[in-house]
Amino acid sequence: MAASGLSAEVDVGQVVLPGDVLLLPAAPNADGERLRLGPSSAPRGRLLCGPGLRRCAAGLLVTKCGLLRHRPPAGAGTGGGAYWVDSQQKRYVPVKGDPIIGIVTAKAGDIFKVDVGGSEQASLSYLAFEGATKRNRPNVQVGDLVYGQFIVANKDMEPEMVCIDSSGRANGMGIIGHEGLLFKVSLGLIRKLLAPNCEIIQELGQLYPFEIVLGMNGRIWDPREVISTPQDWIHQQSGLLHLFVALSPNLGTGAFL
Amino acid sequence: MGSEPEPGCALRPFAVEQGLLSRPDGSAAFVQGDTSVLAGVYGPAEVRSSRESPERAALDVLLRPKVGLPGVLERSREQMVRRACEAALLGELHPRSSVTLVLQVVSDAGSLLSCCLNAACLALLDAGLPLRSLFCGVTCALAPDGAVALDPSARQEKEARAVLTFAFESTEKRLLLSTTRGACSAKEVEYVRDVHGTSV
Amino acid sequence: MKETPLSNCEKRFLLRAIEERKRLDGRQSYDYRNVRVSFGTDYGCCVVELGKTRVLGQVSCELVAPKPNRATEGILFFNLELSPMASPAFELGRQSELLVKLNRLLERCLRNSKCIDTESLCVVAGEKVWQIRVDLHLLNHDGNIIDAASIAAIVALCHFRRPDISVQGEEITVYTPEERDPVPLSIHHMPICVSFAFFKQGTYLLVDPSEREERVMDGLLVIAMNKHHEICTIQSSGGIMLLKDQVLRCSKITGVKVAEITELIQKALENDRKVRKEGGKCGFAESIPNQKITAFKMERAPVDANDVEEQAEEIIMKADPPLDVFAKPILWTPGTAQIGEGVENSWGELEESERGEEEDDDNDPDTLEDPKMEMEDVSIVSKTKKDDTIVLSDSEEEEVVILKPEKVPKKTRTPTSSKQENSSKKVSNKKRKKKRVSY
Repeated sequence: MAASGLSAEVDVGQVVLPGDVLLLPAAPNADGERLRLGPSSAPRGRLLCGPGLRRCAAGLLVTKCGLLRHRPPAGAGTGGGAYWVDSQQKRYVPVKGDPIIGIVTAKAGDIFKVDVGGSEQASLSYLAFEGATKRNRPNVQVGDLVYGQFIVANKDMEPEMVCIDSSGRANGMGIIGHEGLLFKVSLGLIRKLLAPNCEIIQELGQLYPFEIVLGMNGRIWDPREVISTPQDWIHQQSGLLHLFVALSPNLGTGAFL
Repeated sequence: MGSEPEPGCALRPFAVEQGLLSRPDGSAAFVQGDTSVLAGVYGPAEVRSSRESPERAALDVLLRPKVGLPGVLERSREQMVRRACEAALLGELHPRSSVTLVLQVVSDAGSLLSCCLNAACLALLDAGLPLRSLFCGVTCALAPDGAVALDPSARQEKEARAVLTFAFESTEKRLLLSTTRGACSAKEVEYVRDVHGTSV
Repeated sequence: MKETPLSNCEKRFLLRAIEERKRLDGRQSYDYRNVRVSFGTDYGCCVVELGKTRVLGQVSCELVAPKPNRATEGILFFNLELSPMASPAFELGRQSELLVKLNRLLERCLRNSKCIDTESLCVVAGEKVWQIRVDLHLLNHDGNIIDAASIAAIVALCHFRRPDISVQGEEITVYTPEERDPVPLSIHHMPICVSFAFFKQGTYLLVDPSEREERVMDGLLVIAMNKHHEICTIQSSGGIMLLKDQVLRCSKITGVKVAEITELIQKALENDRKVRKEGGKCGFAESIPNQKITAFKMERAPVDANDVEEQAEEIIMKADPPLDVFAKPILWTPGTAQIGEGVENSWGELEESERGEEEDDDNDPDTLEDPKMEMEDVSIVSKTKKDDTIVLSDSEEEEVVILKPEKVPKKTRTPTSSKQENSSKKVSNKKRKKKRVSY
């Protein structure tokens, strides 16, 4: 249950459970049941309410269990920063703008149906590839891997993805090669890996050079082929996760499971 | 073999493990004394068009007994767990999808329904589904002489005059579910409900 | 729900790796995953983990009449269920082909091999025999269901104790576990299935395929053997053509694996027996690890209920008074009583045709509803209160007697006791064409 009277810094970084209500600093309440959050000064501008939090009458309602995180406002006075809950999950929920790895499951006329691991399959138009025209269709087969991002992803509509960015360039997106290995990890691990200056990636890169594609839906693709020489390469592939955990003691536990 | 609590207000030793199954999106094992229930959750996932709802996720609960085929008792318990879960789950965030909760009875030594409710809540939590609050279940047995026994064992349940199960949600300890087997007076129900409130 | 499809590059990678004699989890071609057996507090209950594949097994027994053509033999019944928890592809009633195949294989392995002495299950020849029922539930599917299921079945059967009985002439006395110690089943040998997955038209084989390997395999060979190197069942599926020496090689590997697994099972059973004899704690609570971040244990928790009475009184005083509690039922005629006034009609006006059918004089649709619902309410109450038999008839010609439809003020319904809610049924003695919802 909620602790009363804890200072804000301790709240951020603490475990919160669904049902906890976080008070917005603009409405200080002496009710001991609720957590106080936010820095001592009231935020000016908008406060971003991230994943795991919802607006409710009194403040922010926590809907997922995890660690409460806070990002202070960048720049002076532009918004009150952002709060969110760092939770671990296996199932992906499509979010607009997320780069993901999808598996093509069907070709239906002008669009491809792509499995992204969510509750619905995403649709990908054949024109959404770099250099694709009606005459020049991309060579996509059922079972191929594609790396793209969502342009439409909300809870009410079928998600749509594209393999080009806003200027029409591929920018690394498109059909991923036909070799390599795909494996599934938890969403929290992907977020850790995609964080800027991720120590794991740096330290692993010093051990041996590698190139991987990370999808926000929990899929990692490693393009290397099976090498006939060392057996430890396979161990490396499967032990990648364990290696990650072993190399970084201060990244916290619980996010890799 | 097994732990028999003395008549009175004490919960049996319980143990919890989350995330023990690799396939389901969320899983939890809840052990209360000798009663053990394993719960697995898949969701939000694809839904059959017949069950699709444009407003909320379709929640399905399946309770599988250890021996034999599921019968009427399992169906009624499924509905009770389902109603408690629907009250806590924010299904509006995932319309036209399905959440499937499968409960497997691993051993039954009394207080089965509350063990199922607890395992269900933890499995939903492990799956990362959005919840309004946590919830938990408690059972109690009213002996023929009026004594109240919390978290009864199978023997206590058999000898009891009435067995009551309640589910409470975590924020304001409000009642989500109340079910009774047997005869008891309204005053006893109130008393028992408050005892449960403190044990939650 | 559909399972995540296997992408082409995964298929290619797996096949390439198998050609190089490499497996994704680092095993050798002939290596088994870790087998872990844990027991519950009941006799005959066990959970077997083969890597991540998890199977729950429970054995139960019952005294029944024997089959007419086998009057002196007990009955064995096996049932493997693929729980929807095990994989998103398993839905109730949808995975019949795989289920039938697994069940049939399990039956052949355990029943036809005569590992259990069915003659010893006979109590009174021709009249009463023991029926042993083995229920297996697959909890997590990570490949190689049949091996895990066969291990779970045989472990559960070895662990099971049936009640002791004594026969004196025509009387059979079944003793409870407190009176006499239960008796183990008489098991001759322990057959265990070992699966081999074949790839590239039988060129490469792997023992104990994981789920991904099962998806890309060409065919499967299952050999059931006991530790005396007797083959109990052998089955090859998938249409692969195997050479004779391949099959012989597989059976040799099976012999080695079965010996290892049998030893492991014996050790686990021995451990459990020791723990039970010493009176130590056993059961699934012990199998939950102590020092894991995702696990939590708590000892007995006493609950302080001393001041509950005061709290309860406070709550009752603070709470809103209940609306119009009708404590006494009003008895109209024997067999008919009424509690409360029913709720306001939420159906709106009755249609013209319906109104014409009613035989009463009151044309007001609103009050028409209330007494009808009261009657429904009433008959429910009378069923639970009175012991007189109530005749329910579906006859449409039956006259409907309206209980003095007064203009009752619209009130909300009083909170009914939970017993009433639980016993609400559809009442059929109404002269209505449309179906009304019962509550």
